[in-house]
Amino acid sequence: MERLDSRVRLIWFLRVFVGSVVAGVIAAIVTGFVDSVTVSPLLVGGSVFAVLLVLGAIHVVLRYRAWRFEVREDTLYIERGVLVNVRTVVPFVRVQHVDARRGPIERALGLSSVVVYTAGSRGADVSIPGLVAERADDVQETLRRLAIESEPETGDAGDAV
Amino acid sequence: MKLHPLSIPVRVVSRAVGIVWAFIFAGFALAGGDPLLLSGVVVLAVVVLAGLAGYEVAYYRRFDYELTDESLDISSGVFSRRDREIPLRRVQNVDVTRSFVARLLGIAVVDVETAGGGGTEANLRFVGGEEADRLQEAIRAKRAALQREEGEEGETEEAEAAASAGGETLFELSDRDLVLYGALSFDPRLASGVVALATFLAPTFGDRISLSGLGIAAIVGFAVVAALALWAASAVARIVQFYGFRLRRVGDDLRYERGLLSRHDGTIPLSKLQTVAVEENVLMRRFGFASLAVETAGYAPGSQPSGGSEAAIPIAPREDVLSLAQTLEPFHDFEVERPPERARKRYVRRYLLVGLAVVAAGFLVDQFLTSVPWYAAGVLLLLAWPAARLTHRHRGYEVGPDHVVTQGGFWNRSTRIVPYRRIQTVIRRQTVFQQRWRLATVIFDTAGSRSISAGDAAALDRDEDDADSIAVAVRDRVLDVIYERDRK
Repeated sequence: MERLDSRVRLIWFLRVFVGSVVAGVIAAIVTGFVDSVTVSPLLVGGSVFAVLLVLGAIHVVLRYRAWRFEVREDTLYIERGVLVNVRTVVPFVRVQHVDARRGPIERALGLSSVVVYTAGSRGADVSIPGLVAERADDVQETLRRLAIESEPETGDAGDAV
Repeated sequence: MKLHPLSIPVRVVSRAVGIVWAFIFAGFALAGGDPLLLSGVVVLAVVVLAGLAGYEVAYYRRFDYELTDESLDISSGVFSRRDREIPLRRVQNVDVTRSFVARLLGIAVVDVETAGGGGTEANLRFVGGEEADRLQEAIRAKRAALQREEGEEGETEEAEAAASAGGETLFELSDRDLVLYGALSFDPRLASGVVALATFLAPTFGDRISLSGLGIAAIVGFAVVAALALWAASAVARIVQFYGFRLRRVGDDLRYERGLLSRHDGTIPLSKLQTVAVEENVLMRRFGFASLAVETAGYAPGSQPSGGSEAAIPIAPREDVLSLAQTLEPFHDFEVERPPERARKRYVRRYLLVGLAVVAAGFLVDQFLTSVPWYAAGVLLLLAWPAARLTHRHRGYEVGPDHVVTQGGFWNRSTRIVPYRRIQTVIRRQTVFQQRWRLATVIFDTAGSRSISAGDAAALDRDEDDADSIAVAVRDRVLDVIYERDRK
């Protein structure tokens, strides 16, 4: 089974970092305004930031370890999740369209995400983040080709809705 | 084709009502009796209203729709123009709504839904009453013709002949059943009203009632009266909503009509059916009744824009519901398998934790805010065992020859029958808590838009290894059905 590119951890860690900074600043401001708390706002904000950062970093490592996917014969298989382990099976014939997405940080690192849409109510639930750009193009192209090839010749059973 | 000319005044009035209120409030607040300012506000209001009327006239003049053999074409827009073409093959639902005022004027709203995107794809406000019926019937007949041409699963010539004769009535809600439905179904949305009212009244009466003896009795009394009033209001609302409910089968479509004040008339194409759900709340189960909901990808019963619960059958004896459901989507007689026994133990733990959380919250309130008999919440802990039993007993699944059946929910038990050919993705989900008990959930995702509100069709809390084999088995069956392979 295929793993994500290890640099995706950096992107996830940056997100955790920004989130921790925001939470820390909010915590500091709140302590500053509440009179009954006498602890220094800087200390509270700093510790909130540090705790979240450590927890987030652990989560990022575990998340990377849990993530794997595979392009199989008839289906795309994805396994992920630390607290909630989710294994998704998407038959190619159900794929409506495939996006390749590249955010600014992803672009800087040469990474790209592939998002697979189905007609299901969880439409955009299937996305593979952090692939090397060439590999992402490759996956996108493969999925696109397989989605067309997998269309059955007869009947409308393949008609998604 | 143009909209009905009466749509101009009706649209102007329905928009103006809000604006006029805003002006009255703003007028009183800002002008505060100053005659000069007041007349200014009046002049402004008149100008805005005139502008509104002008806009609606332009909207009417620039709105054009046409039903061809293959599509419904709509060009609209006053400032930015939009030409929209809706292929009839892709139409999911066609709804005709006649509000009370519209009925007096003989006009109606037509909504056409397709699976893509959010919101209604075509919204014709307003067309004449007969034109609405003509559109609804023409769209159905033309779509059926298109499907026949392509040799898809669809109706045959005889069915089409029967369709032009007005279709066959599948179900009619008698007055007795209507009252029963009102009495047995409780709209949870009303419960939020109670909470809102309680928070509104609490500060007013909070100071006068002491939380002991007579005060508690008064609160309990108030709660009982409020619950009864709500139940009555909910019953009346349901009765008004579902008055004269009739379900017909016209060709390959289901068509329902209902409503006392405003009439709703909608089509549900059976060829687009995603899942069938049999729903029974506690009271219905007690008396052997059930309701039936049919999901398509356009919108599901109960979702916007139709509003309200648009059950295919609001209430009928359970056997009748099941046999009618089987004529719509021929499924096997199912018998669901309960989750393993250890799942029940998990529920006991879970409910105990919830109970403890309530007790702890009560204790904290007692310590820091106001004295309440927090230990009374301890009774909740005893309820964990029966609650877990009930939860466990009403969950289950079965993998059948052509459908997978899932069941869940105690207060409102929903049994969902999902044809393999409609399953989009299969998801196996396991939380850390489930991992401890070696349990996992398998979700079957379909294009039915209802899943968002009512939760997915899922085999809840199965044994880990069973979950794996369910996921594999269902995936194989989905692929088999799609490629019309022989069953193994």
